[in-house]
Amino acid sequence: MAQNTGKARSSRTSSATRRLRIGLCLMLALLLVVGAKLFLVQGLDMGGMAEAALKNRLTPTVLPAERGKILDASGNVLASSVIRYNVVVDQTVNTTTATFPRLETVDGKDTIVKIPRDQGIEELANVLGMKKDDVKNALTGTQRYYIVAKDIRPDVEDRISKLQIPGLASEGTSKRVYPNGSVAGGIVGFLKDGTTGQAGLEQTQDDVLKGTPGKRVFEIGADGLRIPVGVDQLTPAVNGKDVKLTLNSDLQYFAQQAIQSQKDKLSAEWGIIVISDVKNGNIIAMADTNAPDPNDPGKVDAKDRGVRAVTAAYEPGSVEKMITAASAIEEGTSHPLDTYTVPPTYTVDGQTFSDAFEHGTEQRTLAGIVGYSMNTGTVMVGQKLSKEKRHDWLQKFGIGEAPDIGLPAETPGILTPADQWDGRQQYTVLFGQGVAQSTLQTVRAYQSIANDGVMLQPRLIDSYIDPDGHEEKVPAKDSRQVVSKDTAKQVRDILESAVTEGEIKDAAIDGYRVGAKTGTSESPCDDGKSGFCGYTASMVGMAPMDDPRFIVEVVLQRPKGSIYGITNGPVFRSVMGQTLRTYNVQPSTGAPVRLPQYAK
Amino acid sequence: MSAAAATTYPVSTAATARALPELQPGQPARKNRTPLSVVRSVPRRRRAPFVVMCFGLLALALMAVLVLNISVSSAQYQLVELRAKQNTLTKQNQDLTQQVQNYDAPQNLAAKATELGMVASTAKGQIDLSTLSVTGKAKPAAKSDAPSAVIAAPAIAGQVAVVPAPSAQDPLANRKPADSTSAAATSATSATDAAAKTAADAAAAAKQAAEQAAAKAAAAVPAVELHGGSIPAPAQKTPGK
Repeated sequence: MAQNTGKARSSRTSSATRRLRIGLCLMLALLLVVGAKLFLVQGLDMGGMAEAALKNRLTPTVLPAERGKILDASGNVLASSVIRYNVVVDQTVNTTTATFPRLETVDGKDTIVKIPRDQGIEELANVLGMKKDDVKNALTGTQRYYIVAKDIRPDVEDRISKLQIPGLASEGTSKRVYPNGSVAGGIVGFLKDGTTGQAGLEQTQDDVLKGTPGKRVFEIGADGLRIPVGVDQLTPAVNGKDVKLTLNSDLQYFAQQAIQSQKDKLSAEWGIIVISDVKNGNIIAMADTNAPDPNDPGKVDAKDRGVRAVTAAYEPGSVEKMITAASAIEEGTSHPLDTYTVPPTYTVDGQTFSDAFEHGTEQRTLAGIVGYSMNTGTVMVGQKLSKEKRHDWLQKFGIGEAPDIGLPAETPGILTPADQWDGRQQYTVLFGQGVAQSTLQTVRAYQSIANDGVMLQPRLIDSYIDPDGHEEKVPAKDSRQVVSKDTAKQVRDILESAVTEGEIKDAAIDGYRVGAKTGTSESPCDDGKSGFCGYTASMVGMAPMDDPRFIVEVVLQRPKGSIYGITNGPVFRSVMGQTLRTYNVQPSTGAPVRLPQYAK
Repeated sequence: MSAAAATTYPVSTAATARALPELQPGQPARKNRTPLSVVRSVPRRRRAPFVVMCFGLLALALMAVLVLNISVSSAQYQLVELRAKQNTLTKQNQDLTQQVQNYDAPQNLAAKATELGMVASTAKGQIDLSTLSVTGKAKPAAKSDAPSAVIAAPAIAGQVAVVPAPSAQDPLANRKPADSTSAAATSATSATDAAAKTAADAAAAAKQAAEQAAAKAAAAVPAVELHGGSIPAPAQKTPGK
């Protein structure tokens, strides 16, 4: 056979080889095309396919950061965030489901019970404490998402979920609660939409409190399951820091209660009590009348929602005589026991000044002038200083300089430059008219006298506490020596004599030596044009005088009735007494100072 | 010679033995003979135990995987259960903390104290043990006849209003998630109702007081005295002290 087909075989072999070669070439060409396409798709990613696919698979979720707490000095919570639930319903599901099954224990056996829709609605209404009809209305309709109830507590939410009502679901939310309500409510402030601060410290400390939300990005397949080997990036949320204040909530309550009672009793417009620690400038309480409850701030008027101790500038009245006396002593133009012949009315530069009480020509000491709060004598003492000096001394005592304690709208007060003072104002500033300041500024001025002439800036925020518990103290601001230690001592003696010998005897506290000064100023109307609208009555004092620890100021705006019958003495006494008791301050030692009020 | 025949023949015989090239004639042939010995065949290893062991190992491995799988999945269940428990406890803790804070709020504490007939003391005396001196006059606290201002309780939704009704039940019993029977639900609602009623009473009283104060304030608006001018100058007279 082989020898027969020798020639034919060789020709057939060559054609087969050729075909094979052609086929191979074709295959290789196709492979090249496929390879090139593969390279284009995989290697170069021309159409951004891989990127688009990854993007499609990547699912980002936001991990919310927990808002920090606001605490008082002893760690009592003034504001914190808690878990609450919103109960929502898919109305289309609920409306069309006439009965639904539920596993219940009947006679000790687990059985599936068919519950009619109405029964379910009734049970839900019971748990929510709502009317059955309201619940039924909320559950009936065509909306796929409808909020039935908001801010449900977790235990109630648990009861609701056990009802297994079709279409009903609950969503977790965060809610800000203020356990102390209106105690320090104005200082703490509130949020506007549950996340952003709108007033008080919640507003000013918003950046610190809110923290940084975290993020988790992972790949999810078309079947809704996570791809285990895919991208999984976790940026953990950084919770907000806690803000710790210098406040004592018990004293804050006591002060608020005291000033609210006083305001109600005398039908005043508003009142303020500030308690401050002399040694470090810490604000222990800053009470306002009609303080808002941050849980429901809408209940009080908008004008009552702030902190008046820093926002309200008013003419302080006679409390400013302390500054006049201190500057005169420091400048060497006067001494507590210097004698002045005080006429019934005193005229200087054509301006006549009189006192709040009738008196003949008296021989007074500087202590007596302050102790009896005489405008005439104060002008006589103060006029020895030049206008510029008077201005500078007010400035040195912090008038016109806003205290920065981290609250919104802190007023610097109104201190016009000396060259703009008119003929009368240059003298009235000596007794606190024609100059305006906030209560905290007055307290700061008295604090510098109580602290041997060193003015400390008031502090409200004591520290920031990291989520890991590390406490970061807010450093004290720069202090400054306003008057010498000796001058401060002499002014303190004058203030103490005002209580022991002068007219402020109702500020005295058993067992403690107290120094105080009253102020009664005429208050212009708020609209600025209708003139005199009442008085601002205040009292500021310190105790114990042997080593002053606390300053308390009580302010009452425009009390009704005769101003001569009004005294803040009892309020001052009870608040100061409570403060001394709370901090276990030792009773005073040494004899009280009794500077003679009349010259011999 | 076929291969089969070869196996039947003795391994070596004198006749077929080839003379070694080194052998020199004349030397005794006996001496040069290779000593013969019986070759002991190595006993064949039995395969069965190895196979059994393999199968055993396989079974063991499978069992191990199974056990591991079961334990992992049951641990997963346990994990989920514990997570849920942790969640519940966190919520419960938060709830109880809030309750404590509510009782702890100064105004609530004061209201409760007043309800129990306690009176705030205004004066105190001090005894200095080192000097045996007594300072200050401690007076018994007197109930003030003038009702002082009441600071409203914190308006936190769902919190018991100031003073809850006394209950013989363990306080924690109220916090337990209720079972699905509506009896528990209704009892819970009635408790809430009672609390709400007290709150409503307190709110009504406060409102009344506020209205009275407002009426007083409205009644006593002073006539504005401009002393003949349009802008009031800071008057010098400072009454009072």
